[in-house]
Amino acid sequence: MVIFAALLLFALNAVAQSAALPAASVEVDALAKEVAEKGWLVYGARGDNGTWDLFLSRPDGSQRRNITNSPDAEEAAPRFSPDGTKLLYRRMNRGAEINHDKWGFQGQLILANGDGSNPVAFGGEGEYPWATWSPDGRQVVCLFPKGIKVYDLNSKSVVREFARQGIYQQLFWSPDGNWFCGVANNQGESWTVVRVDAASGEVNAARKYQNCTPDWDPDSNHIILSSRPAGQPGAAGYGYTQLWLVSGDGAEQQLLYGEDGSHIYGGAFSPDGQYVIFTKDPTDGRASEKDGAPMCIVRAKDTPMITGESADLRKLHPITKNGPVLTLEKGWEPHWSYF
Amino acid sequence: MFTVFKKFNTVRKVVAISVCFLALLPCICCGKPAASVPSKVSQVGTTEVTAVLEEVRGEFVNRANYDYAFVMKYKVTAVHRGSVEGDTIYVAHYNPQKPRSAAADARVPAIGGNVKRFRAGDVHRMALKARIDDYYMGGIINRYFEEYKGVIYWAVWTDDAQ
Repeated sequence: MVIFAALLLFALNAVAQSAALPAASVEVDALAKEVAEKGWLVYGARGDNGTWDLFLSRPDGSQRRNITNSPDAEEAAPRFSPDGTKLLYRRMNRGAEINHDKWGFQGQLILANGDGSNPVAFGGEGEYPWATWSPDGRQVVCLFPKGIKVYDLNSKSVVREFARQGIYQQLFWSPDGNWFCGVANNQGESWTVVRVDAASGEVNAARKYQNCTPDWDPDSNHIILSSRPAGQPGAAGYGYTQLWLVSGDGAEQQLLYGEDGSHIYGGAFSPDGQYVIFTKDPTDGRASEKDGAPMCIVRAKDTPMITGESADLRKLHPITKNGPVLTLEKGWEPHWSYF
Repeated sequence: MFTVFKKFNTVRKVVAISVCFLALLPCICCGKPAASVPSKVSQVGTTEVTAVLEEVRGEFVNRANYDYAFVMKYKVTAVHRGSVEGDTIYVAHYNPQKPRSAAADARVPAIGGNVKRFRAGDVHRMALKARIDDYYMGGIINRYFEEYKGVIYWAVWTDDAQ
């Protein structure tokens, strides 16, 4: 009798849970199905061996596989080449702490095929700092104290050199080849995301005050970045970091995604600009020193989006949209390719 | 009996004080600890000065996750090595909230000194490099940007020179 009652309760509970499946969950499932076949994500995450490895997965999180699986090394910050056939990333010795702001200086630059096969060290420890792809994938651009250098991948020779204009980390080349963006000291202000004209070397601020992890919108006219605006009362006045979209000239400034209580970093668009991926962490800025943070995907057309109660943020941005947030495994600095 | 004991005690005190004085004599004579190690201030950087810290403008940013260099204003009283333009210079110190002996890290490995904290009016002997952008790649808080566009020195070694 008791067993029967317990089974009945269990069954009723299951039915109740199923009936109460929130509409949001249905929308999340729909988003997962929508992105499932749209290329691949690559990202760093802790492997079973305890070190940071690189993983490939479909954008819905399926077909996840460890493509480095190296117990003697820490791998981080992968980027697909623009045609998706190659990867670049940094590899450090086992136990090295991956610093969220210094990773571009750390370890060796590794070039590999897009599926992680055939990894080759391109340079020694600390060489080719902050390397990132040229639009045609034949060059990498690196950031040094005395300037920015463009290297030909075949010859390893410097084909161009110019002033870094205050940029000190996270340098990226626009898909159309006309611009660079990065985090810079600019007009006396640090943590400013700037845009540099690739032809003239002229610099302009795209967004000032507490910004980082910039990356290009596929249109090459806008930059996606993380920003912690001043004057937020949350976190005892420290505030929370949100995802923003700004025009390269700084004229347009638009919230993309935020949630009070979380810090949003590592924002990147899907190659067609239809989706946005990012990481979401309740603590600020040390995801790479720990185990990463949950990765999330939203539709670009559903932004600006605020989730959670977020009373303070909603006051500042009363007009937002709603949409599903697809939450994936923990990772760091995800990148997306349709190839 | 009590007087004898008191006299003996006084003699003992005099002897003890004399021994201590003799032991400390080398330090007193040369004005520094007997076993002092030569400072790196004369070995690193390209310019070496003694200067008064005139101003620390505003508060340091005390956020553990973020490293930065902070620009301070100095009045130079002596140039020991190299040269500086004028007697007012602007010097950036890395993570100024930390004692100089604990400020170096993976990004900035080769800095140091014995200054424990920065206070206006203190006198520092510094080994410097110029310009900062040629040697340091990281956030810089420069609250003099509107009024001064010249060279910002990078502090490699900072010793107390009171």
